[in-house]
Amino acid sequence: MTMNDAFDARLKAAFAQAAEPLEAEREADAFSHRVVKQLSNPDRKRILLLGGAGSTGSAIAGTQLEGLLGQVQVPTEGLMANIGFLMSPEVMAAGAMAVAVGIVATVLPRRIA
Amino acid sequence: MKASDEELTALVVATKNPAAFGELVRRHQGLVRGMLHRMCRNHALADDLAQDAFIKAFEKVGSFKGTGSFKSWLCSIAYTQFLMSARKRKAADRVLEKFQSGMEESEAPRDMGNVVDLDRGLATLKDEERIAVVLCYSCGMSHSEAAEATGMPLGTVKSHVNRGRAKLQAFFTDAEVMAS
Repeated sequence: MTMNDAFDARLKAAFAQAAEPLEAEREADAFSHRVVKQLSNPDRKRILLLGGAGSTGSAIAGTQLEGLLGQVQVPTEGLMANIGFLMSPEVMAAGAMAVAVGIVATVLPRRIA
Repeated sequence: MKASDEELTALVVATKNPAAFGELVRRHQGLVRGMLHRMCRNHALADDLAQDAFIKAFEKVGSFKGTGSFKSWLCSIAYTQFLMSARKRKAADRVLEKFQSGMEESEAPRDMGNVVDLDRGLATLKDEERIAVVLCYSCGMSHSEAAEATGMPLGTVKSHVNRGRAKLQAFFTDAEVMAS
């Protein structure tokens, strides 16, 4: 046995000894029970909370948007007049809401994962 | 007769049976939690990460090909969870500094009698050295398995393990000299 082998064995024993309290049957059963419980009962509360907060925020912002966008001057001549129909407050509010909802839908699953 | 890890894994893949997975958790929780305890030096965080690692393993169990051991596969998931948690909390640097600054303040030093405190020894290693040493000596991974789990080149893992072991050997020798 080389010096390295002897030290390797000592190191492995030290790690095993440090992990000993975790290997106790009661400890193992309790941890395993916690994991299995979590598997059958995923963290829906957090998902609902985040989703609810995002949706409420979007809804509140949405109610303010129409008034805010009502101030926008829609051009009646020139090139911009061709897309004037897109610049009504209702359409712009709907567009902004769609973007907000899209962002929530994209970001939320990534943050939860 | 007790079912092997591979048999239990096959059962979990086929039926998503939580009880079968629970048996796998029971068998390997000590290893995974021990590894994360040594890496995080914070028992509560390590247990949370271990729980997340097992849940992730349950979700990804279909991707276990059986080419290596289940234990190594599990340890590599736990290592990924450790890295992700460090990044997510934007405290990777703080966590790693903690490794170097010695014992966690909230945790009383363990009285290990004649056994040299392993955690204190590990705290003297660089982060990569500690991770490589923990994976190889605590999880029993081969150098190639540790390289696969960490994404480091095989030669780098070998160097980290050798350097880490040499530092630990020096630490233990010094500690024994001081104690005598």
